Amino acid sequence: MNVITKSEQETIKFGEKFGKTLKGGEVVLLIGDLGAGKTTFVKGVAKGLGITRVVNSPTFVLMKIYEIRNKEYRIKKLVHIDTYRGLEIGDLENIGAVEYFKRQDCVSFVEWGESLEEYLKKEKITFQKIVIRNINENEREFSF
Amino acid sequence: MYEPVNLPYISKIRYNQSMKKQMTILAIESSCDETAAAVLVAPCSMIHDPGHSFSILSNCVSSQVQIHAKYGGVIPEVAARLHIEKILPMIQLALKQAKKKMSEIDYIAVTGGPGLMSSLMIGTETAKTLALVLNKPLIRINHIEGHLLSITEKLEFPAVGLVVSGGHTQIILVKDYLKYKLIGETRDDAAGEAFDKVAKILGLGYPGGPAIAIAAEKAESGQSLAGVDIKLPRPMLDKAGFEMSFSGLKTSVLYKWNELVKRLAPKDLDKAKNLMAYEFQKAVVEVLVGKTVLAASEFKAKTIVLGGGVSANKFLRSEMLRVVAERLPNVKVLMPEIKMAGDNAAMIAQAAYFHVLKKDFFSPVKLKPDPGWELVH
Repeated sequence: MNVITKSEQETIKFGEKFGKTLKGGEVVLLIGDLGAGKTTFVKGVAKGLGITRVVNSPTFVLMKIYEIRNKEYRIKKLVHIDTYRGLEIGDLENIGAVEYFKRQDCVSFVEWGESLEEYLKKEKITFQKIVIRNINENEREFSF
Repeated sequence: MYEPVNLPYISKIRYNQSMKKQMTILAIESSCDETAAAVLVAPCSMIHDPGHSFSILSNCVSSQVQIHAKYGGVIPEVAARLHIEKILPMIQLALKQAKKKMSEIDYIAVTGGPGLMSSLMIGTETAKTLALVLNKPLIRINHIEGHLLSITEKLEFPAVGLVVSGGHTQIILVKDYLKYKLIGETRDDAAGEAFDKVAKILGLGYPGGPAIAIAAEKAESGQSLAGVDIKLPRPMLDKAGFEMSFSGLKTSVLYKWNELVKRLAPKDLDKAKNLMAYEFQKAVVEVLVGKTVLAASEFKAKTIVLGGGVSANKFLRSEMLRVVAERLPNVKVLMPEIKMAGDNAAMIAQAAYFHVLKKDFFSPVKLKPDPGWELVH
């Protein structure tokens, strides 16, 4: 399926819609260039999950975890990971990221996640890929 | 100035009854890619007027930046290994330079977060062990608080702090020592991160901050290239509130640069690269200064305080001074010395001092690092 967004706001809206469909346990690999809108998309997802805290780039700390306080939700945590610096699975294990992939009360979004595909397949962890393509400065195409 | 209301009651009794004239704090910092230790001495009798008579006896930092440069950023596994190698030598060096014995240390302070989990753990485990073995109180310090208190001058309240580094871009209202409120932060990339990523786009190397500053200096202000538009947006600057955003700026650079690469001759491209670095640095600094000054004016701040790695940026420092002098002439701007801007342990020791006064200690058995610890929320 392809979705085209025409602005940052539309990307957030789309993320929000996507966030509302999550059931828990999802692992989503976000694939796209610098400036594609990966963090912007996750911002929308967080909104869809009812997270009010500012969601900003995890590049520096590699992983940010947002608690979902609404007791009626099955999903308790949004895990936002960034492997921009060419991190490998050993690094992710090191920071405790991998543990979240198997939890049904968490949803994980991995920016620059293409390097994890092989590992996730081997570990039989179900995941989905979202490829974001820059059409021009504002427009983005989401394929998944 | 004697303000009994603000005095931590317990510490008053503690130090008035104590025969000791000085307290000695050993601080450890290992949140990212610098392994650091420092020794600070503060007179116990200055509790009525804290904040300007402690002295840093040593401030030792072992930076891993050269090693991480080849990866274009910090690799946690590598960072942790290097921390393990360096932490005890750094502590030893800090004690030696301070001419202190381990037995003369009264308090152990350590960064408890935010940062990289595997890096933080080396510092916290070391500090916990020392505190337990020496039977000394342990103080857990938030890294951001360390940056906020990395200046040696006394703060006048309310103060507005701008903490700006590779991982953080926050504007914090400081109502008093240890009383913080987050009033604005980046919605996406930290300023330092934007510097790193733009440096990567322009092929200027890592770390991006100094690389961009050097390239920007080569481009004289007002210089231009015929037919080349390098004007970048000033994100959020004209909007109310104190939120900032640097991700869009990075995207703008990416598009402008890709287009220039396609059509410019190599000689012009070099020139354009410097111009782009100049314009990018200017855009970031204008947003940082604009939002900080706006916050200072709205909260009637008496002091503006800077901290974090990006606060070493010369252009940020000079612009902050210039704009504040022009628009808020009564506000004092405090900036850390360059060596105190990046990660170091002296700032952790300084922050710890105020926690000691409040007797805010942490059990060495229970302390766990928290990579996402928010100072203010």
